[in-house]
Amino acid sequence: MTAYIIRRLLLLPLVLFGITLIVFGLFQMLGPDKLLSAYINPNLAEKLSPEEMERFKDKYGLNDPLIVRYGKWISSVLRGDLGWSLVGKEPVASAMAKRIPFTVELALYALVPVVGVGIWLGVAAAVRHNSPVDHFIRIFAIVGWSFPDFVFGLFVLMIFYSVLGWFPPGNMSLWAEEIFKSSAFKHITGLPSIDALLNGQFGVFLDCLRHLVGPILTISWLWWAYLLRITRSSMLEVLRKDYVRTARAKGLDERTVINKHARRNAMIPVTTVAGAMIIGLLSGTVIVEAVFNRTGIGSFVATAATQLDYASVMGGVLFYSTILVLGNLIIDILYAIIDPRIRLT
Amino acid sequence: MRKVWAIVALMALAVFGFAVKGDPTTLVDLTISEPDTMDPHYAYDTASGEVIYNVYENLIAYNGESVTDFVPRLATKWEVLDGGKTYKFYIRKGVKFHLGGDLTPEDVEYSFERGLIFDPAGGPMWMLWEALFGIDSLEGFVEEKFGVSYSDMIDENGEAKPEYKDKLVSVYTDYIDPAIEVEGDAVVFHLVRPFAPFMAILAQGSSWSAVLDKEWAVEVGCWDGKADTWWKYHDIQKEKSPLYAVANGTGPYKLVEWDRTQQKVTLEANENYWREPAKIKKVVIWGVDEWATRRALFEKGDGDVCYVPAQFLSQIEGKEGIEIIKGLPTISVTALHFNWSIKSDSKYIGSGKLDGEGIPPDFFSDEHVRKAFSYAFNYDAMILQVLRGLGKRVPYALPEGLIGYNPDLPMYEFNLLKAREEFKKAFNGELWKKGFKMTLLYNTGNSARQTAAEMLKFYIEQLNPKFKIEVRGVQWPTYLDTYRKGYLPAFIIGWLADYPDPHNFIFTYYHSNGVYGHSQGENYEKFVTTPLEELGGKTLNQVIEEAVAETDPAKRQEMYESVAKVVYSRALGMALYQPLGLRVHRSWLKGWYHNPMRPGDDYYAYSIEF
Repeated sequence: MTAYIIRRLLLLPLVLFGITLIVFGLFQMLGPDKLLSAYINPNLAEKLSPEEMERFKDKYGLNDPLIVRYGKWISSVLRGDLGWSLVGKEPVASAMAKRIPFTVELALYALVPVVGVGIWLGVAAAVRHNSPVDHFIRIFAIVGWSFPDFVFGLFVLMIFYSVLGWFPPGNMSLWAEEIFKSSAFKHITGLPSIDALLNGQFGVFLDCLRHLVGPILTISWLWWAYLLRITRSSMLEVLRKDYVRTARAKGLDERTVINKHARRNAMIPVTTVAGAMIIGLLSGTVIVEAVFNRTGIGSFVATAATQLDYASVMGGVLFYSTILVLGNLIIDILYAIIDPRIRLT
Repeated sequence: MRKVWAIVALMALAVFGFAVKGDPTTLVDLTISEPDTMDPHYAYDTASGEVIYNVYENLIAYNGESVTDFVPRLATKWEVLDGGKTYKFYIRKGVKFHLGGDLTPEDVEYSFERGLIFDPAGGPMWMLWEALFGIDSLEGFVEEKFGVSYSDMIDENGEAKPEYKDKLVSVYTDYIDPAIEVEGDAVVFHLVRPFAPFMAILAQGSSWSAVLDKEWAVEVGCWDGKADTWWKYHDIQKEKSPLYAVANGTGPYKLVEWDRTQQKVTLEANENYWREPAKIKKVVIWGVDEWATRRALFEKGDGDVCYVPAQFLSQIEGKEGIEIIKGLPTISVTALHFNWSIKSDSKYIGSGKLDGEGIPPDFFSDEHVRKAFSYAFNYDAMILQVLRGLGKRVPYALPEGLIGYNPDLPMYEFNLLKAREEFKKAFNGELWKKGFKMTLLYNTGNSARQTAAEMLKFYIEQLNPKFKIEVRGVQWPTYLDTYRKGYLPAFIIGWLADYPDPHNFIFTYYHSNGVYGHSQGENYEKFVTTPLEELGGKTLNQVIEEAVAETDPAKRQEMYESVAKVVYSRALGMALYQPLGLRVHRSWLKGWYHNPMRPGDDYYAYSIEF
């Protein structure tokens, strides 16, 4: 198993090299004129004369061939410099470092409701197969799944902020931000809400939570359907297995049958889906971030891509590929833990 | 399970029960754009300009809503000497910078010289170069003086090559330095020729003329004031400027933080301000890109000012506590201009011949074609439907409010009969017989451009079944790139004033060296450099150049009107509209006034009264 993990980890740099080369190459296919648009804002660009455009291109080395540019980029990355983010208006590394905590925080808090409740609903539906409860859960979930995320996000925002005034958009309130950014506030984990607790700022902690409820609600309902349906069908299949019948026959109570014997065996496909979801959450949820005005990594990379800010996109690519490789590795390890028959070699 | 629910309910209660009331000394401005830089000599966009406006100060300022009337700011008075070639400004005493430095005439001299030397590509400093030296950039100036391009004088390490070092030093000692000088309590500017827009280029709101604290600027790493190394401070990248993210002005607000992650700029009132300190003590300029989110924040009262795109105006109209002001004059225009010499390998002219399958590259060199297009556009429908009434017609590419504007100048009306007549005359009747095919582009997302192009297609195709116009959307970099390189048959493009002077518009659109005039092809250049009878034997270029050196407003008015008449009689372009602005804020915000040249808000003037 250790050898397997090491082997997989050794593949990581290779994967990163391949992906960055592809993405970088795709970017360069746009040509210097389009790449230049990232450096100047549209209103200004309309005012520039052709000579000035040329000066700009030379200044940012946009006329160099692909290999030279990729070489420059990779050598500066190896020196730990990811370049300048035009969207973040600061170095890519620090721009990402400031956004990742908000994404991780959201992912962390969303994990329990999304995965936990999703599986719980799936099991509940499977156990009460074809009963009104089953139908209700399924309809409820399908409705969520069918909603476009920005529409549902806006609903949540309208109801819980505009009407009720409970969950405002943003990262935190102005007063909380003042405390958060003051010199007395110690940044220990990097996650704002956890740090608030560690600093004894209970008010700031609650304020962070208040700003998290809306996005979590939105993500949860939208994603439950998927997880729930996988869990349900996988559960139904397991419940028909001989060993479940045997378990029941030997007089075990229903709870033990479901929780100990059936559920655990139904978890393999669920793990795959849940793992992918967690990876998705960690990569940032673009729409939810935009609607709730949260400064996560997802909207950052999305904006960077639309503005052709290749340094930021490349930074995002590095981050995503790392998460993806590590995430999948963890999922594989989890398989082995859930099902001892699976061996990682 | 019950325990879990109880905990959740308790937590929820604690979370909801927590809300903080708004206070009258904090203002939240909800917007979409984020500043580009805090460096006054690099900033050339409204969002940066807004922050700089509130943090830094200039020698003079516009008087309230006026764009032609000036009042003292850091200068106490001024004199215009030498028939408009020399300006003398007396510098105010007792003014302190935010970090404690005293304002001196040397600070003023340094600020302008540093800007002229920095002159970043794509930055605003061309305005001062044009005003003081009659050329639009430092590099252009060097090349003109010595016949060697600037980049050839500098080696790859950014050092001056030995053989050129003396020449480069002399650029500062012989030209830049003498142009701006300290005389006692005053600073004197020497212009190579009278330049009518000079005062406007200096006025508050022109970030490029903001005054820096020399000692502080040198300390943080700006140009050190020496003649023999200045090139190291020329055209450095935006983020490498020492002033990129910090600010130290004399203005009513101090820059507390520019949070680039949350797109938030926080300003705090300067309690040592030389006038009364501001009433609003804290200002947060917050970029919330998503309209629905911005709207929710604003309606809830968590924002005092909100940027509302015209198409969403109806969503907040009539809501209590929200003040909407419509139809504010802006100093900008949007116009459609023709390319008189389209590149022959353009993809947008079909066969490239007059055979019904394309258009010849000199299609728009034919006056009748231009006139036909000018008649085939429903100007009023455009303003009413696309701009929702937030626009007005102008006779040529010059907005109302500037010298040279006259609503009685002739304009093309929407008239398909006349369009048909003109098309029949074009190319000696050949065009009408054979027809044509061409492509008009717009950049996706720009609905004004899209509708204008589709409107032309709709009306022109009605005139003759052999006329075909394809309308296609592209990304804006492509749009800019293709029009600039001369591939587009016609382009729709707007201009927002850098300074409120007709020169800024007329030169841009109609002079063959103007940014847009330049893109109208060789045949256009030929036209504007050929003497015209109606201009008394002068060329159009000549009249435009003479008009800016003229200091008598009545004479300038006349000169620009003569340009307008040529624009009309020769159909040089279609001025589509002058956009009108929209302002939305909470009604508890008092003290707002409109000045079309001001970037964003003047928070100093505000108070909040619940």
